[in-house]
Amino acid sequence: MKFTFHGGVHPEGHKDLSRDVPLRLFDPKGEMVYPLSQHIGKPARPIVKKGDSILVGQRIAEADGFVSAHIYSSCSGTVKAIEKRRTLFGRLQESIVIDNDGQFTPAGDFTTRRDISGITNEEILKRIKDAAIVGLGGAGFPTHIKLMPTEPESIRFCIANGAECEPYLTCNDQLMRMYPDEIVEGLELVLRLFPNAQGVIGIEDNKPEAIAAMTKAAEGKEKIKVLTVKAKYPQGSERSLIKVVSGIDIPGTMLPAGVGCIISNVGSLYAIQRAVCYEEPLYSHCLTVSGDAVQNPGNFIVRDGTSFAELLEASGGLKEGVTLKKALAGGPMMGIAFGSLDVPVHKSTNGLTLLAEDAAEKAAENMTACLRCGRCATVCPAGLVPQRMAEAIISKDFDYFENELHGLECFQCGSCTYICPAGRPLMQEFKRAKSESMIAKRAKKEGGKS
Amino acid sequence: MNPMLNISSSPHLKDKQTTKFIMYAVIIALLPATAAGIMVNGLRALLIVAASVAAAVVTEFLFDKACRRPDTWKDGSAAITGLLLALSLSPDVPLALPVLGAVFAILVVKCAFGGLGKNFINPALAGRCFLLISFGRTMSTFTVDGVTSATPLAVLRSGHAVNITKMFLGTGGGVIGASILALLAGGLFLWAIGVINGEISFSILIAFTAVLALFGGQGFDPKFLFAHICGGGVIMGAFFMATDYVTSPVSRAGQIIYGSIIGILGALFRIKGGTADSFSYSIIISNLFVPLIDMYTVPKPFAFTKRAIAIREGAPILPFWKRIPRPVVVLTVISAIAGIALSSVYVITKDTIDEQKKAASAASYLIVCPGAVTLEADETMDQAIEALNGEVYGTSYGRVRINEAYVGKDASGNIAGYVVSVTSSDGFDGNVSLAVGLDPEGRMNGIAFTELNETPGMGMRVDEPLFKDQFSGKMVDKFVMTKSGEASAENEVDTVSGASTTSGAVVNAVNAGLDFFHSTVKGGN
Repeated sequence: MKFTFHGGVHPEGHKDLSRDVPLRLFDPKGEMVYPLSQHIGKPARPIVKKGDSILVGQRIAEADGFVSAHIYSSCSGTVKAIEKRRTLFGRLQESIVIDNDGQFTPAGDFTTRRDISGITNEEILKRIKDAAIVGLGGAGFPTHIKLMPTEPESIRFCIANGAECEPYLTCNDQLMRMYPDEIVEGLELVLRLFPNAQGVIGIEDNKPEAIAAMTKAAEGKEKIKVLTVKAKYPQGSERSLIKVVSGIDIPGTMLPAGVGCIISNVGSLYAIQRAVCYEEPLYSHCLTVSGDAVQNPGNFIVRDGTSFAELLEASGGLKEGVTLKKALAGGPMMGIAFGSLDVPVHKSTNGLTLLAEDAAEKAAENMTACLRCGRCATVCPAGLVPQRMAEAIISKDFDYFENELHGLECFQCGSCTYICPAGRPLMQEFKRAKSESMIAKRAKKEGGKS
Repeated sequence: MNPMLNISSSPHLKDKQTTKFIMYAVIIALLPATAAGIMVNGLRALLIVAASVAAAVVTEFLFDKACRRPDTWKDGSAAITGLLLALSLSPDVPLALPVLGAVFAILVVKCAFGGLGKNFINPALAGRCFLLISFGRTMSTFTVDGVTSATPLAVLRSGHAVNITKMFLGTGGGVIGASILALLAGGLFLWAIGVINGEISFSILIAFTAVLALFGGQGFDPKFLFAHICGGGVIMGAFFMATDYVTSPVSRAGQIIYGSIIGILGALFRIKGGTADSFSYSIIISNLFVPLIDMYTVPKPFAFTKRAIAIREGAPILPFWKRIPRPVVVLTVISAIAGIALSSVYVITKDTIDEQKKAASAASYLIVCPGAVTLEADETMDQAIEALNGEVYGTSYGRVRINEAYVGKDASGNIAGYVVSVTSSDGFDGNVSLAVGLDPEGRMNGIAFTELNETPGMGMRVDEPLFKDQFSGKMVDKFVMTKSGEASAENEVDTVSGASTTSGAVVNAVNAGLDFFHSTVKGGN
């Protein structure tokens, strides 16, 4: 029996474009830009000033507050400016700009393995926090906070997320094939923090090599097993994978730790291993450059702050005669479209997808009335009825949307929009409604006060 | 670098099945049935299909233009409406009917309510029912091989066996889209490519079959059930009309409820109703329940079901059957028991009832065959009846069938007369069955009714001597009806005043019996 969840869709994977290209470290040439907010929480505070010389792995900004993360330099050179720069979200944001000298001189010893036999849990957490590891699956939540739930004994599963369900993306596949022992060690370090937890590595069945490599690495490790899950989008979402591993459906208002689960991307676990065993901070991560517009799709270990434009160049540029229509940070299902390639890679950017054809644009052009076909309800991994939710939004019945249809349970995987034959922008409406409903609620509250 | 990249919210991929894809897939799925209909019924059927589709598409086009709405006629939905309407019509209707029906379906049912996605009942079915109500007689006239005849379903209603193979292939008369084989092929094609999900279609078929088996009065007789499923648009309804997205529920549970309502209503109308077109009405009635069903079948998100909460809280998980509301369980059990009891009573008593019926018929037969003590089968007549294969007898008697025929013998074994049992399906209220009694020379002894369900005081009066005795003692080849009180010639029969339909059925039945007698017994001699 294949392990899977309810609903979901089967978009074409396009993984063959890059799945067999090994990861390679990419050394950029131009200036490096580090936005101060690359994680969930408060932006970091710069601790360098213009003209300072910087080494690889040097801390350039400090975490500000509890939910925040440090920022490390990924190149050596001098600070050119601390100014507002455009990020991939389209906004201007305070960023540290470093003139890269191309030497990549490390700030410390990141290659000698430390002795960790007697390491305490506090020390593990401290090293993870100091390394500024954030969730590399996309959200960018600071990992050390996630690893400090109120009751560590209640955690039953530590899940390594190697599902990689986004079309085009293959970097985690390569990471698991090339560094399985490191990932398993990272998971073991996390398991040390949770005495009652079982380690589960979830991988989609379209990555047989990764499954084989991880199974081999986990051999003889009693607390770790590899779980082959069905290839289906959004298998790699937190909620879907938790459902598959533990059988528990979690509502949007609960954190995974609330149901005894800690879930981390395999990239984060690799980073944890590097941080604990080598005291190397997080300044690079794996990333796939793919899409139907790019000449040589491939997988990279990319340094934070690298410009997307340079990555495209490193992948052979655009295919001849192809006009780039859309550039995405991440995969095509949840990736963020950005207007210009001259923006820096974020810590949690796991892909650069370059598309010559924009299906979303076509869908908008061919949009028809809702047919009430019900496909959206069939594919919703949360068990919602997007069709009725959209109707409630049209009639501005946010109360019904929220309380009867549980519209806030939507975690914006986009399956409904993907499947909708009428081409209706369902998920986008829900995103908007979420904020509108919050605004309406706030207005009501304030109105009640006065 | 190109600064003008597209910006939009995710997802940036789309499934291949667009509205247009779905609509054209449905049209493709209907093509086999259309082709079969044209092959069986000829060019006339093609004309009707063309007229209906063209009328539907043109109506939508004109509406879009007149109301300055975006062009929706190209999306294929209007063409489907036209095609479905045509397939559910008799190939003999005048061309104006499909045009009128299509215009009504598109203009009134679809466009007036807001166009695609907003119609509250299936437009094609609404068009068909509009025509049924407005042009009842024209709509229900069917010809087979140039002969006016009943559709297989009307035959089935009259209690006769039908030719299932012909029904399955669509060569046994009926509407243009009568080929079950072609419809099933199209329906399964839609199911295979995921345009329909099967919930609605299969719950219709299951509920329909179950109710017919339990309450149909014939138990689980595969031939009877199969004939009912193949007839009266059940397959077309289940796969093409009830599955119309717009007029069916969105959630899976809702679809199963909706399908079951259609199946149950359809079967009940078949058992108790008075028309062969009941399936159209059962779908339309169920269409009207859809908003209600939708309202009460919003599924709980996975994380909010009782089971999910129980798992989260470590509480014991109730087995599936304990989570079903108690009244549902109780009612289901009660109706299942009632149904099984009813059908088993039928099965147990079937032989006795048949014997009783036979005895009653035999008694009637003896009445019209005075002097006879026993009724014996006759090889020539039996062979002739077998050759008819349950088909309509002759060309000029309406929907008349020969049931059986006997030779009456007296005590010493001499032929005392003949009895031919005939049923006409043209009665005012169902079947009229009677026995025609003849003496050895072919003189009428008289008639006796074995089945008569006409209106008391009107049609029922054919059983009174005033009418019945007109046949007795006459030596004719054929009776002719006259208006009340004018019968003078030997072969003239006065109709019962105010009951010309019943009288006509009786006269036709008698004439068919006479003809059968003359062509087999007399002709054979």
